[in-house]
Amino acid sequence: MAVFDTPEEAFGVLRPVCVQLTKTQTVENVEHLQTRLQAVSDSALQELQQYILFPLRFTLKTPGPKRERLIQSVVECLTFVLSSTCVKEQELLQELFSELSACLYSPSSQKPAAVSEELKLAVIQGLSTLMHSAYGDIILTFYEPSILPRLGFAVSLLLGLAEQEKSKQIKIAALKCLQVLLLQCECQDHPRSLDELEQKQLGDLFASFLPGISTTLTRVITGDFKQGHSIVVSSLKIFYKTVSFIMADEQLKRISKVQAKSAVEHRVAELMVHREADWVKNTGDKLTILIKKIIECVSVHPHWKVRLELVELVEDLLLKCSQSLVESAGPLLKALVGLVNDESPEVQAQCNKVLRHFADQKVVVGNKALADILSESLHSLATSLPRLMTSQDDQGKFSTLSLLLGYLKLLGPKINFVLNSVAHLQRLSKALIQVLELDVADIKIVEERRWNSDDLNASPKTSATQPWNHIQRRYFRFFTDERIFMLLRQVCQLLGYYGNLYLLVDHFMELYRQSVVYRKQAAMILNELVTGAAGLEVEDLHEKHIKTNPEELREIVTSILEEYTSQENWYLVTCIETEEMGEELMMEHPGLQAITSGEHTSQVTSFLAFSKPSPIVCSMNSNIWQICIQLEGIGQFAYALGKDFCLLLMSTLYPVLEKAGDQTLLISQVATSTMMDICHACGYDSLQHLINQNSDYLVNGISLNLRHLALHPHTPKVLEVMLRNSDANLLPLVADVVQDVLATLDQFYDKRAASFVSVLHALLAALAQWFPDTGNLRHLHEQSLGEEGSHLNQRPATLENSTTAEDIEQFLLNYLKEKDVADGNVSDFDNEEEEQPVPPKVEENDTHPDVEPPLPLQIQMAMDVMERCIHLLSDKNLQIRLKVLDVLDLCVVVLHSHKNQLLPLAHRAWPSLVHRLTRDAPLAVLRAFKVLRTLGSKCGDFLRSRFCKDVLPKLAGSLVTQAPISARAGPVYSHTLAFKLQLAVLQGLGPLCERLDLGEGDLNKVADACLIYLSAKQPVKLQEAARSVFLHLMKVDPDSTWFLLIELYCPTQFTPPHPSLHPVQLRGASRQQNPYMANVLRLLKELQ
Amino acid sequence: MAAPCPLPPPDPQFVLRGTQSPVHALHFCEGRQAQGHPLLFSGSQSGLVHIWSLQMRRALTTLDGHGGQCVTWLQTLPQGHQLLSQGRDLKLCLWDLAEGRNAVVDSVPLESVGFCRSSILVQGQPRWMLAVPGKGSNEVQILEMPSKTSVCTLKPEADAKLGMPMCLRLWQADCSPRPLLLAGYEDGSVALWDVSEQKVCSRIACHEEPVMDLDFDSQKAKGISGSAGKALAVWRLDGQQALQVCGTHQLTNPGIAEVTIRPDRKILATAGWDHRIRVFHWRKMQPLAVLAFHSAAIQCVAFAADGLLAAGSKDQRISLWSLYPCA
Repeated sequence: MAVFDTPEEAFGVLRPVCVQLTKTQTVENVEHLQTRLQAVSDSALQELQQYILFPLRFTLKTPGPKRERLIQSVVECLTFVLSSTCVKEQELLQELFSELSACLYSPSSQKPAAVSEELKLAVIQGLSTLMHSAYGDIILTFYEPSILPRLGFAVSLLLGLAEQEKSKQIKIAALKCLQVLLLQCECQDHPRSLDELEQKQLGDLFASFLPGISTTLTRVITGDFKQGHSIVVSSLKIFYKTVSFIMADEQLKRISKVQAKSAVEHRVAELMVHREADWVKNTGDKLTILIKKIIECVSVHPHWKVRLELVELVEDLLLKCSQSLVESAGPLLKALVGLVNDESPEVQAQCNKVLRHFADQKVVVGNKALADILSESLHSLATSLPRLMTSQDDQGKFSTLSLLLGYLKLLGPKINFVLNSVAHLQRLSKALIQVLELDVADIKIVEERRWNSDDLNASPKTSATQPWNHIQRRYFRFFTDERIFMLLRQVCQLLGYYGNLYLLVDHFMELYRQSVVYRKQAAMILNELVTGAAGLEVEDLHEKHIKTNPEELREIVTSILEEYTSQENWYLVTCIETEEMGEELMMEHPGLQAITSGEHTSQVTSFLAFSKPSPIVCSMNSNIWQICIQLEGIGQFAYALGKDFCLLLMSTLYPVLEKAGDQTLLISQVATSTMMDICHACGYDSLQHLINQNSDYLVNGISLNLRHLALHPHTPKVLEVMLRNSDANLLPLVADVVQDVLATLDQFYDKRAASFVSVLHALLAALAQWFPDTGNLRHLHEQSLGEEGSHLNQRPATLENSTTAEDIEQFLLNYLKEKDVADGNVSDFDNEEEEQPVPPKVEENDTHPDVEPPLPLQIQMAMDVMERCIHLLSDKNLQIRLKVLDVLDLCVVVLHSHKNQLLPLAHRAWPSLVHRLTRDAPLAVLRAFKVLRTLGSKCGDFLRSRFCKDVLPKLAGSLVTQAPISARAGPVYSHTLAFKLQLAVLQGLGPLCERLDLGEGDLNKVADACLIYLSAKQPVKLQEAARSVFLHLMKVDPDSTWFLLIELYCPTQFTPPHPSLHPVQLRGASRQQNPYMANVLRLLKELQ
Repeated sequence: MAAPCPLPPPDPQFVLRGTQSPVHALHFCEGRQAQGHPLLFSGSQSGLVHIWSLQMRRALTTLDGHGGQCVTWLQTLPQGHQLLSQGRDLKLCLWDLAEGRNAVVDSVPLESVGFCRSSILVQGQPRWMLAVPGKGSNEVQILEMPSKTSVCTLKPEADAKLGMPMCLRLWQADCSPRPLLLAGYEDGSVALWDVSEQKVCSRIACHEEPVMDLDFDSQKAKGISGSAGKALAVWRLDGQQALQVCGTHQLTNPGIAEVTIRPDRKILATAGWDHRIRVFHWRKMQPLAVLAFHSAAIQCVAFAADGLLAAGSKDQRISLWSLYPCA
């Protein structure tokens, strides 16, 4: 681009403008010169440097007031020349330096002259360019003592600009320029590094500026966060570069005791500083104050680059000035440690790098190793921790705990020095316990109940691989920030990892036992200690650290678990026993029995809500949390021990399962996730797998605890949970326990029947599920299909108007045949198809026909249970009666393939069941009716006469008496128990009639009772149910049903098929408007 | 038992389940053979031998060597990982259990179908002596093992009418190398045999019912026997090798299946047909505890060296009890 390469050409071009400028100094002329300069090559410019500079310098030096604009353009032009050339003479450098500095000099005040920002910027850039253009060694000769006043002026000028200017650009430029002036520039133009002597000389020179630079920069650094991070970053950089240069241990150790006679004049000599010991001490002290200020401000600076620069600062100062700044070492390290857990990964990484570097060095500060300083700091932090934890806000707590964590990380195994001091351990633990105090005022936790009892089916694969990371959200009294909790956990884990685990566990176990106030916190800490001790999550800075050996860890865990699951810590009051309360209530107010279940529970809960005083809620909440924390602990221990935890299952699984069956939602949730953790740790695919594989341990616990039921009232619950979550393989193992349960039940009929009945229910439900009797079901199904088919085939034409003679003949033949059958002349064919039940499979497989085969275990069990049900059916408590009816129902289902066993039992249960059906509370009637239906479907013949004699009259009677009520009732009626009862009876009667194969008279009773419900006035649902009764009746006796319906409402007039026959007169035909019309029509349609 | 405030009876420490058949024999294996993990062997009516880890409280393996016939006696040999099992299939099996093996390495045919348990006496390291019920209904056969050579047959005099041997205990006095055999007979008497001379040294009729089991404390020269009746008999051996009844202890319910003195000779336990384990102070014969847990007759009791007591019952469970820990 250069047009004029040779100096001669260039001179020719430039000379006129230079002359012009010398004559008249205007902005235009300067700009003219600058435009010309653009076209001159660098080498030519270098030759002509002095010549070109002359008019410019002349302009600056001309006395008298000058326009700012002119000065600015001159400075800019000067800067342009300097940026393309280099200054080879020291004098020129000094003169230019002075001339440029003087541009901003205002003789009137200490402050920089009040000139335009553009000029300031131009001058700063000029100075910066000048220093860069100085050639080779002359830059060093520039920094001789005689320059001190002028340099000092420039430095203070720049500092002033950096501190006071409003423009960010100027500030940054001033800081950059200052950096260049102090020879700390980072650009590539200064390749040569200084030798020791040169460094010392420069250091001596710059030492004079140290107070000014350090205080001013500190003010800039600690200024408003809003000033922008780059200014702070640059200031920090200059601060530490300058300080570490002047205070460098390397330089200071070469300083002689006596100041060398310098050859400079007296005035300058006064300015010079001799960096001897006293000066170093004083300066160090003063710098410490500034450094502390800086750290305090910068360590919480919102911008990560600033914090990163702080890490650099610490590293630089500690590496270079560990002797001279010995007082600052503590704060500097503290800053570093505090940043170990910085939220920015860059800062964290840098911090860790620096710390590792320090750890590798033998001596860090003074004569002390890093470790010593850190332990001292940890000591003092431990001392003040309790106070800090109460007085600080969340942010303060966060930084304090970060610091604590940092110390622990860095000290590694050496934290034991601190822990071995009883006083410090106590302080530390006090602080942790205090800050971890939970807020237990939440009433919801106590109230939330687990209703759904089979929610243990979740697979462990759905949960995270780090199981304890999904612990329950909890609320603390003294902080809300979740990060603080994470920090606390990390702190505890590190303590567990590096600390003496026996000592720590002992200490916190002591606290755990000491008071209920500490218990939850201590448990939380213990959980984390063990997790930490396993070292699974800990990032280890100390590679050589040996972890706790697994055997020892297991012993420790065993002892903690013993404490957790001991009687007084595991069986805490978590709810007012609603069931028992309910029972008492009902005994006091028998009237309550009649109300619906919904109303019942709401009454009970509201009663509870009013009577509960709040301290009880708090203590129950606290108990719930304690159990949850202990459960979570068990999960964490499993995680920590991995496969080794299998050996602890024999004592642990039982209590956990017990809690999985707990009524309180939170507890059962946490217990379930604990089981999940155990699955993970011990390598089970599912909870079911876990339970099945360890059922021997569980059964052992159950059978032993059943012996002391008063002490372990929840034992039946465990069996219940087990049964719900296992499969048929479990049965042989639980057989003896079931016997134990039954034996215990026999002892405690009066007191604990409720909990046992629910176990029996679970057992029978499990049996019914595990041993579905497919063979018999299929048989029954086929049978019923066959019956339907045969009936329908026989009567296709009964109601058709166009009845043919063949039809009538066929009808007669059929009639005769049936009559024959009814009289007992049964053919082989009929026999086979209709009656004989298929013999149970067991008999077929039996190889010894003489010997009674041993009954399958499940049948034996069901028989034993049914035996108890017979007694319990008449229990005083309605709830128990209801449950027993459910169990009875299941017993019948399980036993139905073994008629020889079922029928005698059913016979014995019958009177009591009839009592339930006829004289009990409506709810019980409902359930009893359900049992009746099941019984009917399983053993029809057996039931027929009993049903007709004992039950049917009563049922039919109640249907008839209720009918007018339901016909009149409004829409609310469908929510009443009476309605439900009607509905259930109507829905059940049909199948029963069919199944029991009732005789004609009884069928008529049923039909009579149900007819009224075909009325359109009845609720729709009842009509539907009534129709279903008739549909079933049609299958049993279509003719009489048809006749009955036709009597009620006859849609058509019947004309005799032959004139010789009399016309039929039916009652139903007489009335046109008939409430039964719709339903009868629908039913008749079915019959056709 | 006139204690003013009797403590509630203790619970078993734990219960082993899963034999799925009545338990007839128990034997602890510990120390060197078990390598720090104590084991318990149990023999069941279905002919299986279960090996239980007491650490895991679970069966590790089962040995099936008796063709589904009841296993009545189990004993480990001190020199190695070898287990003897006696079954009602008329076989006595020697199992090699070293390094996870479980194979029958040898077997001795038996000729008596009774419930009489065998007994061993280890003399020299490789050689040991075995007493088994013999061919004749009243005989005891002595074999030298492992060569299986018959040493002699101990047959009571024809007019003695002792009936079948019910239990055997081979032992050796500290002072003399002569092996001795204590045998309990069907007629309720206990006889001391000098094996080398093949003669009865002494005999006492201490029970009215068949002797079911006996145990002998060779240090105190005192033994105890239990029978199908309601009494336990304690007897001693005087210097002239004559048995003398020291006393009897009456029980509330008849029938003792096994009686075992703990290795430290402080207490003894009996397996009762009345579903109860009874624990006595051995020296004073003072009843200490009646342990009720099982729901059927107890068939066997065994003590571990550390004092753990195991009882096997017809209810298919094995209960383990930690009582009066050894000093």
